Amino acid sequence: MNRIRRIVMGLIALPMLSLTAGCWDSAEVNELALELAWGMDAAKDDGVMISAQVILPFRIGSAMGSSGGGGNGSEKPYFVVSGSGKDTLDAVQQMQTKLSRQVYRAHRRIIVIGEELARRGLGHVLDTYSRDPNLKLRTDVFIVRGGTARDFLNVAYPLEDIPGIGALKEYDQIGGLKEMSLLNLMIAATRYGNCAALPVIAIGMGEAAQGEEANGASGQPGFRIAGIGIFNDDLQLQGFIDVRDGRWLRWVKGQLHKAVVTAHIPQEEGEISLDLINLGSKIHPIFEGDKIKIQVRLSGQGMIRENNTSLDLTRMHHIALAKEALDKQVEKSVYQTITKVQEKFGVDAFGFGEVIHRKYPSRWRFLKNDWSREFRKAEISVKADLKIRKIGVTGPPLHLKEQDIKK
Amino acid sequence: MKIPFRYRSKHKEVPRKLPNSAMPNAPAPNDLTGALNPVLEVNEQRLKHIFNSSDLRFLTISVPGQSRVLLVYIDGLVDKDPLDQAIMQPLQAEMQPESGGQQNVSLGALLEVRLGAVAEVKRVQKLSDLVEGVLKGNAALLVDGENQAVLAGFQGTEQRTIEEPSAELSVRGPRDGFTEDVRTNTSLIRRRIRSEKLKIESLTLGELTKTDIVIAYMDGIAKESVLEEVRRRLRQIEIDGVLESGYIEEFIEDVPWSPFPQIQNTERPDVVCSSLLEGKVAILVDNTPFVLIAPMTFWSGLQAVEDYYERTIYTTGLRWIRFALMNVSLLLPSLFVALTTYHQQLIPTNLLISIAAAREGVPFPTVIETLLMEFMFEGLREAGIRLPKPIGSAISIVGALVIGQAAVQAGIVSASVVIIVATTGISSFAIPRYNLGTAFRLLRFPMLILAGILGLYGVIAGIFLILIHLLGLRSFGVPYLEPVSPSNFENLKDVWVRAPRWSMYRRPVLSNGGNSRRMSGGRRPGPKRGGGMG
Repeated sequence: MNRIRRIVMGLIALPMLSLTAGCWDSAEVNELALELAWGMDAAKDDGVMISAQVILPFRIGSAMGSSGGGGNGSEKPYFVVSGSGKDTLDAVQQMQTKLSRQVYRAHRRIIVIGEELARRGLGHVLDTYSRDPNLKLRTDVFIVRGGTARDFLNVAYPLEDIPGIGALKEYDQIGGLKEMSLLNLMIAATRYGNCAALPVIAIGMGEAAQGEEANGASGQPGFRIAGIGIFNDDLQLQGFIDVRDGRWLRWVKGQLHKAVVTAHIPQEEGEISLDLINLGSKIHPIFEGDKIKIQVRLSGQGMIRENNTSLDLTRMHHIALAKEALDKQVEKSVYQTITKVQEKFGVDAFGFGEVIHRKYPSRWRFLKNDWSREFRKAEISVKADLKIRKIGVTGPPLHLKEQDIKK
Repeated sequence: MKIPFRYRSKHKEVPRKLPNSAMPNAPAPNDLTGALNPVLEVNEQRLKHIFNSSDLRFLTISVPGQSRVLLVYIDGLVDKDPLDQAIMQPLQAEMQPESGGQQNVSLGALLEVRLGAVAEVKRVQKLSDLVEGVLKGNAALLVDGENQAVLAGFQGTEQRTIEEPSAELSVRGPRDGFTEDVRTNTSLIRRRIRSEKLKIESLTLGELTKTDIVIAYMDGIAKESVLEEVRRRLRQIEIDGVLESGYIEEFIEDVPWSPFPQIQNTERPDVVCSSLLEGKVAILVDNTPFVLIAPMTFWSGLQAVEDYYERTIYTTGLRWIRFALMNVSLLLPSLFVALTTYHQQLIPTNLLISIAAAREGVPFPTVIETLLMEFMFEGLREAGIRLPKPIGSAISIVGALVIGQAAVQAGIVSASVVIIVATTGISSFAIPRYNLGTAFRLLRFPMLILAGILGLYGVIAGIFLILIHLLGLRSFGVPYLEPVSPSNFENLKDVWVRAPRWSMYRRPVLSNGGNSRRMSGGRRPGPKRGGGMG
C-alpha cells in the first residue's frame, strides 16, 4: 500500500515539478529570429546602433527544396533590422520592438563594425560579447571600410544565401584564420606589447587599385576583403593597410595559413609564383645597448604554380635560383610592410612587444610604458626561408621550344 | 517417467494419496479416487462418467481363449496405425498365452511385455493414474478380471513439421526451428549435443493443462546455483494452465516490473545449444516453439544468431552498427526535441536553418509533434502485425503516403520530425531480440517527455535512471550488464566485438560452474610457422 502511494505521489509530483520551475526556457526554432551577422555603428550622443541580419528560414528552405522556382533576386532570404541605444543591450531592446521573434545570438558568425564607430573606439561596446554565455569568442570581427555596418549587412552576396557567411569564407580563402578575430581582439586589447588589428571588408566587388581607397559600390553587389585595420592601445582605429600588406602582417603574427608569393627573377625576365602552406614565423628581439633590433624569420613550404621564365625547374640549381628570388621578395615585402606600419601608425600591430615581454621580462618592465616610441625606433630585419617542395607536372613551361629552355 | 517435482496443491483438490486400496462398492460417478475394478463394465461406466466426452473411444476386444480387453484412448491424441499393428492384430490373432510355463502369467503382464518392445508402457492400478495417462495420449488396456491397466504410449497428435523459425531469420545457419511438441524439441537439441552430459529433467505444471516442462542443461558446465534457482522458482509456480512459455517466464523472472526482459526466448535449437554450452539453462514448454533461456544478460539481447556463423570482422562491424542503432532507437527523438527546443546553439547553423524552415507554420510544439508521430508509428506497426497478409501492404502504403507525405505537405508536421521518427523506427528493428527492442520502444516515450520538459538535462537524467536500473538488475544471480559491469576482460570478447572462435576459449564466467574452458588455447589458424614455403 505504502509503495503504491509512493509511486502515485511520484507521478503527481513529476508534472508539478515542471510547473514550479516557472520560467521555461524552451523555445521552438520557428519562434527564434536567427541572426548570423551582427553590425555595430556609431549613433548620436555616443550611443551605439546595432543591426542584425536575420534569417528567413523558409526562403532558404524553399530555395533549396523546390525545383528552381525558389528565390529570385528580390526575395532575399534575410532582412536587416536595426536599433540604437546607449549601449548594446539598450539597442537590442529597441530592436526587439521590430521583431516578432526573439533574437537568437548563439549562431552569430560575424560581427561587423562601421568605420566611424571603430575610429571612435571599441572600448565601450565590447563587454557584452564576452559576457553573454550564448556568444562564442570564436566569432569573426570585421571593420567596414568607408561605410556603416548596416549598409554592409544589406548588401547581397551572389555565392551565399546569407551574406554574412560570405565574408567569413572570403577571409578564409585568402588565408586568414577563421573564427579567431574576436578572441584575438580580446587578447590584443589586454596586452601592452600588442595592438589590435582587425580584417577590413569593403562593399562592392569592383576591381580596386593597389592601395585602394573606398570606392563605394562599384560593379556587382557584394563585398571584398580590403586589408587590415590597425588599432591603437585604446582600441581606436588608426588607419588601414591594404590586402597585400595585411597578408604579410598576418604572416608575421602567425595568423596566416596559406599565401602565394610572386617573385621576379632578374636574370630571366619573368615571374615565378609559389603557393605556400605551413607558414611559420619567429620573432627574435636583440638588444644592442640602447638599440632594439628585431629579427623576423619567416618560413613556409609550397609548390610552384606558375613559371613564366624559361627555366627548367627540374634542375636543382634553377630551383635554388627561384628560392633565392622568392626569399628576397618576401623579405623585401615584409620589411616594407613593417616599416610602413612603424612610420605611418607607430603602433605595434605585429606583437613584437609581446615577444620581448616573454623573452626579456626584466627589460620589458622599462620598455612597457614607452613601447610605441621604442617600436618606431626599432631596427627591423627580415629573413625568409622558403622551401620549394613541388614544381608541378612540368619542368620548363610546355609551350617553349626546345632551344629556348634554359637547362 | 520420473517426475522430480510436481506441483503440490495447497487446497488438496486432487489428493495424491489414495485412502485405501480397498475400494467402496459404489463410488460416486466422478470420484477419481480408488483403484480399478476387476469388472470391465464397471470401469467402462466410470470412465464414461468421468470424461463424458465424445472423443473418448472404447473398444472391447475379445481375445480368443482368454478374457476380454477394453481399449480406451482419446481420438486424435493417439497414433492409430501403430496402435492397430501392435495391439489390435496381435490380440485378435495370436495373443494367447503359450502353453506351458506361462500359464500363470496374466494377460495384463503379457501385454506389458509385448508392448514394451514398441512403446513406453506403464502399469497402473489407480483410476486417477489411468485418467491422467489417457489424457496424456496413452492408450489404456484394461483386462477383464484384473484390477490394473496397461498404459501404452502411442501418442501421436497432428503437429506442425519442423519449419524455419519465422521470428528469427538468418542468412547463414541451420533452418530448423522448434515445434509445438516438446519431445521433438528435445530431440532437436539432442541431435546437436550428443553427450550424456546433456541432462533433461521433466516436470508437469498447470493444474488443468498438465503441461510438460523440460529443463535442459549441461552437467558440469551449468552452474549448480543457477540450476537450483531455476528448479526452485519452477517449483513455486501454481497455476491452472500453462499455454505458452511466457506463462512460465512471468513466474520466474527476477524483477517483474522491469521493462527489460530477463529471460531470453528463442525458436532456434542452435541458439539453445550454444547457450547450453555456455552453461545456461533452457526451459522447454510443451505446445510452444519458444524456449526460455536463463540467465540472460543485456548483451545477449544484442547478439544475433548469425554473429557466430559469419566471419568475425564483419560481425564486429555489424555489432557496432547494432549498438549505435540501439542508442538511436532510444535517444534520437528525445535528443532532437531537447536540441531544437532548448539547445539550438548545439545544432550546426545550416542544419538549424533547415529545421527551422521545415517547422515554419507547424501548429504544434516539437515535443507534441514528435510524440504524435511516434504514437502514430507505433500504431502503424501494431496495426500491421495482426493484419492478414494481403491487407498488410495497405497499411504501409497508407502509413507512408498519408502520414509521411500528406501530413508534411499539409504543414501539420515538419519533415524533419518524420525523418527522425522513421529513423528511430528502422533502428528499433535492428535489435536482434524482439523483446529487448520492445523495452527501448517503450522507454522512448518517457525519454521524450523528459526531453520536452527538461531538455538535455532531462535526457541525461533519463539515461542515468535507466543505467541505475540496469546496473541493479540481475537474472538468476547474474548481473544484467555482465561482463561490462562487473567487468571481465575474457567475456568482453563477445560483447563489443565478436572475437574469433579460437580466441574465445573460455566460457562466460558468471554462468558456468567450474568447467570454464571450451578448448585449449593457441588454436589460431595459419600456415605452419618457420617452415618456409611447402
